[in-house]
Amino acid sequence: MDRELLIEIGCEEIPASWLPGLTAQMARHVDARLKEVRLTSDAPAESYSTPRRLTTRVIRVAERQTDLEELVTGPPVAAAFGPTGEPTPAALGFAKKYGVEVSGLERSDTSKGQYLAYRLRQRGKATVDVLADLMGGVLRDLRFPKQMRWDAYLEDGKGDLPFGRPIRWLLLLYGGRVVPFVIRRTELAQGPTVQDIRSGPNTYGHRFQTTSGRAGRAIKVKTFDDYQARLLENFVILERTEREQKIRRELETHARRLSGRVSPSVAAHSSLLQEVPDLVEYPTVVAGHIPVEFLTLPEEVLTTTMIHHQHYFPVVDEDGRLKPAFLAVINMEPEKPEIISRNAERVLTARLRDARFFWDQDRASTLESRIERLSTILFHKKLGSYREKVDRVVTLAEWIATEALRVPEAARVTAQAARLSKSDLATDMVRELTELQGTMGGIYAREEQLPEAVWKAIYFQYLPVGVEADAAPSRQQLGPAAVPWTALSLADKLDSVVGMFAAGELPTGSRDPLGLRRQAQGIVKMLADLPEVSGLDVRVRLGPLLDKAAAPFNADGEALSAVGTFMGDRLAYLLEQRGFDVRNVRAVLHGDIGQTSPLEAKRKLEALAQMAGSASLLGVATLLKRVKNISKGVSAPSSNPNGLLTEPAEQALVAALEQSAPAIRAAAERSDYREAFAAVAALQPMVAKFFDDVLVMAEDEGLRAARVGLVATMRDLILEIADISEIVTD
Amino acid sequence: MTFQDLILKLSTFWAAHGCLLQQPLDLEVGAGTSHPETLFRVLGPKAWSVAYVQPSRRPDDGRFGQNPNRLFKHHQYQVILKPSPDEVQQLYLESLESCGINPRIHDIRFEEDNWESPTLGAWGIGWQVMLDGLEITQFTYFQQVGGMDLAPVSCEITYGLERIAMFLQRVENVFDLEWGGGVRYKEVRLQEEIEQSKYAFGQVDGLSGAEFADVHRELFDKNFALGEKLLDSKLILPALEQCLKCSHLFNILDASGSIGVTERTGYILRVRQLSIRVAKAHVEAENLESGPAA
Repeated sequence: MDRELLIEIGCEEIPASWLPGLTAQMARHVDARLKEVRLTSDAPAESYSTPRRLTTRVIRVAERQTDLEELVTGPPVAAAFGPTGEPTPAALGFAKKYGVEVSGLERSDTSKGQYLAYRLRQRGKATVDVLADLMGGVLRDLRFPKQMRWDAYLEDGKGDLPFGRPIRWLLLLYGGRVVPFVIRRTELAQGPTVQDIRSGPNTYGHRFQTTSGRAGRAIKVKTFDDYQARLLENFVILERTEREQKIRRELETHARRLSGRVSPSVAAHSSLLQEVPDLVEYPTVVAGHIPVEFLTLPEEVLTTTMIHHQHYFPVVDEDGRLKPAFLAVINMEPEKPEIISRNAERVLTARLRDARFFWDQDRASTLESRIERLSTILFHKKLGSYREKVDRVVTLAEWIATEALRVPEAARVTAQAARLSKSDLATDMVRELTELQGTMGGIYAREEQLPEAVWKAIYFQYLPVGVEADAAPSRQQLGPAAVPWTALSLADKLDSVVGMFAAGELPTGSRDPLGLRRQAQGIVKMLADLPEVSGLDVRVRLGPLLDKAAAPFNADGEALSAVGTFMGDRLAYLLEQRGFDVRNVRAVLHGDIGQTSPLEAKRKLEALAQMAGSASLLGVATLLKRVKNISKGVSAPSSNPNGLLTEPAEQALVAALEQSAPAIRAAAERSDYREAFAAVAALQPMVAKFFDDVLVMAEDEGLRAARVGLVATMRDLILEIADISEIVTD
Repeated sequence: MTFQDLILKLSTFWAAHGCLLQQPLDLEVGAGTSHPETLFRVLGPKAWSVAYVQPSRRPDDGRFGQNPNRLFKHHQYQVILKPSPDEVQQLYLESLESCGINPRIHDIRFEEDNWESPTLGAWGIGWQVMLDGLEITQFTYFQQVGGMDLAPVSCEITYGLERIAMFLQRVENVFDLEWGGGVRYKEVRLQEEIEQSKYAFGQVDGLSGAEFADVHRELFDKNFALGEKLLDSKLILPALEQCLKCSHLFNILDASGSIGVTERTGYILRVRQLSIRVAKAHVEAENLESGPAA
């Protein structure tokens, strides 16, 4: 009969951000280990977690391992017997290894010939006898973002057992019975207060709350259903979704009671709602009030203090204005919620009083006066202080406004914004609420009565980041700051990305501590959406931007080409995320990434998407593949060699190219890529006829050269728009 | 409960649970971790449990006595348990109960917060303990000190005494706390806060910003050189003291905005190198004394 397997690793509080990943790992590792030890189960493992436990249940696990039957291959038959048919030492050795006579071996036919083989049969062991191995394996399999030593080891010969947090109990049941397993403690730690952890039938509920008996005592369980029910009686909601729903429900109820709703900034600028269900075992919401006097602080300061520092939910009224209230998720069913509310109010008030002190203090000095202080704040150890970064960003932003965006009249304001852009790092408010960098600088600039174009450029400088999250501000939000913001935001990110590459700080597959990917994503996103974000319809190529950003760093060619590839990858990623076909993305991003303008690439993709299914474009694309092969390494002649191309199909193609080239180029020039691709597609009959009628690889050398030259001309013309040979399905 | 009662309660609790009651380090330090009762005792295999108050100076947090929550100098109650008992969280919660904090009425949480001190070559894994949203304790399992792995692992519990006292006395301003016998915190410490803050931010008559910085650079160099000399003579504890003085001088230089980033990194590195050498020397000396028989 199949029985239930129940595992609970009882831990001290596991960091909330790890729980979703660890929960998934538990199920995955248990399933893999079951398979490895040849235990079949009806359904995949289910896993659950709270801050103090990682739980897995497998509904029905077989009572025995499946029997093992394996054909072990020995020496080839040809090498197994001597000339007279007697077994060679190789054959004897193999038979001896499995304790049989050579005559007891089988012959196995393989692709490499016939081999001696032994059929190994092993009867499966009872499940209870292999579960300890499984448990040890799972404990070793779990990976943590950061692990700790806690003087524990397993008797599996691998020694120390580091873990995410210390393990305090282990519930391990199969069919309701305890499977013996032990986590040992090292000799140095072992003593009256430090003991081995032995698997048992017990779980533990909430430390301080229970519906019966003494809170925090051991609770004996038999089955998963029993386990889950007993936990609930002891104020632990095992299912994360249930915790989340309870939180959402109570947040809504409380907000309604305050005639408001939870501030949308919670969802827009934080992962608070995703985080709180993993911070608690039994969530309850309580409401608190903020003294009205603090509502004079900037809204950004209030919400950041509540969300990021206290994990509290701000409440807004119908018009989205902050109400003097907040909601807090606590980890208990409170006897006296008003006591907890009042204490939470005191903590928040203390923080806000601090913030008001900073607000008053910071406004006593100008942003300009803080620039020198930036020399004491490190940007990066290889790239110097923020003071140095400011100088670089000023130069770069000014250049971007003037040269790349071609709005020289915005250069002065851009430079002013850039010069003050990092001063807020030297304010007390940002030192305390680092999430507000940029935002605070903008607010202080506004307080100083600096022009809207300046303060908004500073305010929004770190946006956009990433592909979808933290979107760019809208045109309406930016108003007159559109161009200065674009230039500053691009300059700041370019300086960071290019600077880090020059310093050799390249992001790797799993590590990107400086967030370069997200910053690069922000750059290509701004460039691709330039008309929408800045109102400027300019095709800015990546190459000049990167070169200009690299100028202060003495970057070598290798670093520059690495950063080019990096930006190209980010651009491809952005475009694919927007739903463009992968093949089309490859087609428009072909060749030198420095020559690429993200805006142009996006428009070409839109045109290609409109033309999806065009048989003639696909026809040209297919032939382009051939053309590229034939003309590999051949440059197009500057003019058609006179008189050599006399065939009608040749002349027709020559004429078609001469006629379409200006049309294609003109269409591309005015960004009408639909028209450009249509003109390319229109070449299809002439190209097809040419390849049907004409043998390019003619015997006559001169003729051959002329024909190859002709296809090379065509190739170059099409590649000016896109390498459409990429759009062909293989 | 007065400020001094709180200290008495914690001392009584931890003494009853096997801790030696030690006294504060009589030097200017930023945290109880710098005390040799922590820094040295957590190294090596010997079991050790100790508790003490440590006045802790954070020049950067100086607010001239005007901020109700921030102090140039605050008080930590430091507990070291080596090895860390299995029931350590439970013990900690009982210690709160002994101070009159009822965990059945309040929301007490352990939220991830790891600790690292680059100047001590030390780091640990742990939590900040939140009491109805107020951070009252730093709870750390030490993993490395002086760049060396620790075995067994020690648990460090650091209570923020002013915070807890303010919670218990329900006061909004630290200076309104009752220290003991009707005497307020401000009567005991306000003048010191004002003077120390002025000093930490370089507001010294007849000493320009540059001169202020120079004096402290010189002091740093002298203490550092002395520390190295002491270490060469195997005078390890005195060497540690010079190292801690350097660390404090660096904090003053930093708070007063006297040093740029490159210089800053350089100072951190120097203190770190000295503290690591001191820690290594301590381990070697201990091994020599205890001998192979131990």
